[in-house]
Formats: sequence, structure tokens, C-alpha cells
Amino acid sequence: MRRIAIRSILFDRGKLIASLLGVALASTLGFVQIGLYEGFVRSSSTVIDHVGGDIWVMPRGLNVIDYSQIVSAGPRSLLLSHPCVADVRGLLYGFSWVQRPSGTRSTAIVVAVEPRPGRRVPWGDIVGDVADLDQPLRVSVDRTDLEKLELPAQALGRNFEINSLKVTVGAVTDGIRSFTLNPYIFTSMTNGRRLLGLSENEVMYYVVDLVDRQCAPDLVRWMKRYPDIQLLDSATWSRATQDYWVGGSGAGSALAFTAILGLFVGGVIVGQTLYSMAKEHLLELATLKALGARPMELAGFVLWQVAFLGAVGVVSGFSLALVLRHQLYRVGLTVVVSTGTVGLSVVATLFMCILASITSLSAVFRVEAAKVLR
Amino acid sequence: MLAQARGVGKTFRSGTIEATVLKNVWLEVRTGELALLMGPSGSGKTTLLCVLSGLLRPTTGEVDLCGVPISRLPDRTAGEVRRRNVGFVFQTYNLFPALSALDNVAEVLALKGMALDQARSVARSSLVRVGLADRLEHRPGELSGGERQRVAIARALAGDPSLIFGDEPTAALDRQTGLEVVELLKNQVNEGRGVLLVTHDVRLMQFADRVIEIEDGQIVRDEAVRSAAARTQAGAL
Repeated sequence: MRRIAIRSILFDRGKLIASLLGVALASTLGFVQIGLYEGFVRSSSTVIDHVGGDIWVMPRGLNVIDYSQIVSAGPRSLLLSHPCVADVRGLLYGFSWVQRPSGTRSTAIVVAVEPRPGRRVPWGDIVGDVADLDQPLRVSVDRTDLEKLELPAQALGRNFEINSLKVTVGAVTDGIRSFTLNPYIFTSMTNGRRLLGLSENEVMYYVVDLVDRQCAPDLVRWMKRYPDIQLLDSATWSRATQDYWVGGSGAGSALAFTAILGLFVGGVIVGQTLYSMAKEHLLELATLKALGARPMELAGFVLWQVAFLGAVGVVSGFSLALVLRHQLYRVGLTVVVSTGTVGLSVVATLFMCILASITSLSAVFRVEAAKVLR
Repeated sequence: MLAQARGVGKTFRSGTIEATVLKNVWLEVRTGELALLMGPSGSGKTTLLCVLSGLLRPTTGEVDLCGVPISRLPDRTAGEVRRRNVGFVFQTYNLFPALSALDNVAEVLALKGMALDQARSVARSSLVRVGLADRLEHRPGELSGGERQRVAIARALAGDPSLIFGDEPTAALDRQTGLEVVELLKNQVNEGRGVLLVTHDVRLMQFADRVIEIEDGQIVRDEAVRSAAARTQAGAL
């Protein structure tokens, strides 16, 4: 039945193209939307995920990294006095005003973290030298924010102002974007305090590395002497930030809705094609039934067609999604392609195809062999 | 005995409306003969063919197909009996348009469990036997009506069935082609095989060993066509 089914669908080019387009476009939409969603999720917590650490220490009640507040120096010494704590890093994370070369103003997020071997911040492909950021008022900017900051493509050595302080671009990162679309400005702790107007020893977060992660509950109890701070493990803190932005903003729902709508439209196209193919061939299928073909053999006519459309459609959709991903990256949108996003897109597309085949399967199962003699 | 109907009745119901199409039909289809089932439109010919082949279940009476009491079997089992023993030829051929003549025959054999290579070999022989050696790779759309019907006959023959049912197999063909097709079917009759054709066409009597007439759901005539003269006379009509 596989050969009959696939040759039949290949024979009718018009229907083949229409249904392949339906599956491929639905699949592309699925890949892109799910990848964009994952991209948004990751961008919202990218600093937490890349700075790492086992425990983050912050003012009590904080539920998103972007609404940072100053933490006093006190907890640091208490943290370091716990036997399970291997290292404590201060981290600065704060909004600041940026004055662009044209004189207009916008906001940016200044980030600085005390260095730790093996954890390079900023991360990824970098033009310039991260070590330069230790120089006075040297900062990094991201390639995708150059236009926003009115900086040229060759931005190294260029100047602009942050909180009325003239800074120089010492490094250009690639693809480190904030969910809030505010440019990330990485710099050293000393520069960060100057740019954010903080005094020495003030930080927004403490990032704690533990000797043994099993000690975390004990450390939480240990730190109860500071009732105005909270300790969250990195994963929880990352998830809280993601939930706040992607869940709370409705961006996730909007992307999911578009993806579902795409799958629905694709499903209708595929369903119509399969149904008309099945209806057109009912007489032949009834003939096979009269000749003794079993119901599942007849169902194979639809199932092989849907499998063919699903497989070719998914591959085409994925290829198209990769092209779109490249184009979207150029405008600053990250479409994550991971085992999870690809797997989810494939499953969603195939599920759509299976749903679309139900009416055709029903028609095939209900076909009467006696139909051929009427 | 290839098929036997014993006191078969068939009533169709739609809501409160009932239509009795077959009434107390007793009939046998034997090996070694080509039988014609004739009668006016609406007389119950096609319904009787459906009941005899197990495609429809009789309302009353019993039907045996190749020795199996098919009217008592579930659809799936009845399908298995047809799969092993029966071939069909239809008025509208019912060939898959995307498949070549060879594949239209071979795929049915493959569905019956034959390996594809063997199925194609048997299909090729079957198509050669019906005179389509030079049309093996043509699709139905590239064949004439008579050639398509020959493909359908090759498909019916390919599984080496004991009984071939034909429903108006010549109705869509011109006179000469129709006669050639029935002659081809006649040539398939042998000691182990029989053919039952439903037809309006009295010219086919020249090939018949037996003629069964049905009117208003009842058999009104069932007799052998014994004389060659009678056949010749029918052929002249």
C-alpha cells in the first residue's frame, strides 16, 4: 500500500504542491516560533545563566534580575565564613542613561561581575580584548545594539556617554541581547560602580560558589541573620526571571498562539488534500476491499501519504526555518535551534498531520466494498 | 460448487422505508462455466452479485462461497475468503490512475502477501495473457477503454481465483471490444474456475454456458445454453 499511496500523491502534482506547502509553512512557523520563544526565554535570563554560581543573594522579594537593588557589604563576610562557600562574587546590574553621539538618550543595562577563573564575562565571540574592560571607562557593546547606540560597525575605540561619563568601546560582543531590548554594557567592577554611581563595596547581587551543593539549605539557614536578603539557587532564579518576562509579558502566549494558528492552517490544508485524495480514490480502495484488503491495509493509503507529507514537509520547513533564522539573527532576533526546539516542532507538525488525516481515515474505514458494484 | 445461494432474500431499510430486492433466490455457480446473470434494471442483479460474493449480507437464507458459509462470517473473515478465491471485473475498471498497468496488477498481488518481485513477474504474465505485453508500463490514462478492462481482467486473474465476478464489464466498451473482452473471460474458464457476469447485453450469450434471468428479485430462468446454434443466434443479435 505504501507504493500505491505515495505514487498516487506524487501523481497529482497540484495537490502534492499545495499540501507540501501547507506542511512546510506550518512546520517553518512551528520551528521559528518555538525557536523564538526559546530565544526569548534564554535572553531573559542570559546573564544569570552565563555568570553561573550555585546561589544568588539579593534583596528579599526580588523576582527578576532586571529590578536590581543595592545589597550592602555585610552579607559577604557572613557568606565567606560558612565552611561550604568556596567563593563569593559581587555583581552589578543596573539601568543607566546612555547619551548617543547624536545627543539623544536611551537606557542600557550596565553589568559587571568580579572575575572567576573559567567564567568569562562577557561571553561568546568577542571583537577586541575583554581585558581592556579593566581600563578606565572601557565598556563592551553588542553587535546587535550598534545601530541603537548610533555606533559604526567598526565600533572599537568609539565613544559615547553613560550617565554623563564618556566611555570608550573596548570590546564588541556578538548576540548578547536583553529580553527588554536595553543594550547590555559589560565592564569591570570599578567602571561599573562609577557608571552606576555606587560606592565601593556596594553590589546588586552576590553570586556564591559552593564547595558542595548539598550545603545550600544549611547556607540559607546560616544567612537568616540577614532577614532582608534572600538566597536562590541559580536555576530557580533563572526560571523566576524567565517566568516574569516571557510568561508575564504575554510574549510566550503570543508566540504560542501564532505557532498553533500556523499549525491549524497547515492542518486544514493537509486535511483537505488528504480527504480529497481519499475521496477521489474511494472506488479503487473499495475495489481493494472487495478483493479482500483489510481495513488497516486500506488505512495505509492515508497513513503513508500523511507520513510522506509529514516527512518531506518537516525537512522543507526546517530548511526554510534555517534560512529565516539567519535573516532574523541579522535583525537581532535569536531563533534557538536545539534538540528540544527541533523535537517539539517535529512532534507538533507530525501531530498536526495525524489530526489532519482523521477525516480521511474515517472515510477509508467506512468505505463499503459493495460500492464498487453499485 | 463455487457459489451457492439457498433461499436468499435481501431487504434494504432506510428509516421506515423497506425495499425487498431479492426474494427466495436459489442459485449455484459452478466450475467450468461462464454464467450470465441477466435482467432489466432494478431487477436485483447487482445485489445478488454482492450477496454471492459476500460484499453484502443476505437478510434471509444462506450463501456459500467456495465451500465457506460466507453469509455467517464477519466481514473481515469474508474478506479473507474473497482474497483467496475471488476476482472482480467492473464496468468502470477501478484502476489506480497513478500506477502503470503492471503495477495495478502487481500491487494487488502484493496486498495478498506475494513478494513484490514475484508479484511483478506474475502480473507481467497475466498482462501478456490478456494481450497487453506492449502496454505494461502505460498508466490507465494512456490506455483505451478495452485495454483498461483487460488490465482489470489481468488483475482479477492474477491471484488465480476460482471464481470471477463481473459487473457489466462490457457496458463502457464498444461492441467489438466488448465481445473481445468477454471472449477473453470465456477463455479463463476451466475445470477449476468459473465466471459469473452481470449484463444487459444479449450478444454475450454466444459465450455463455448458462443464462440466469432475474426479475423483481426472483430467478425466473436458469438454464444451460446447450446448442451452438443458440449461441450463434445470440451472436447475430
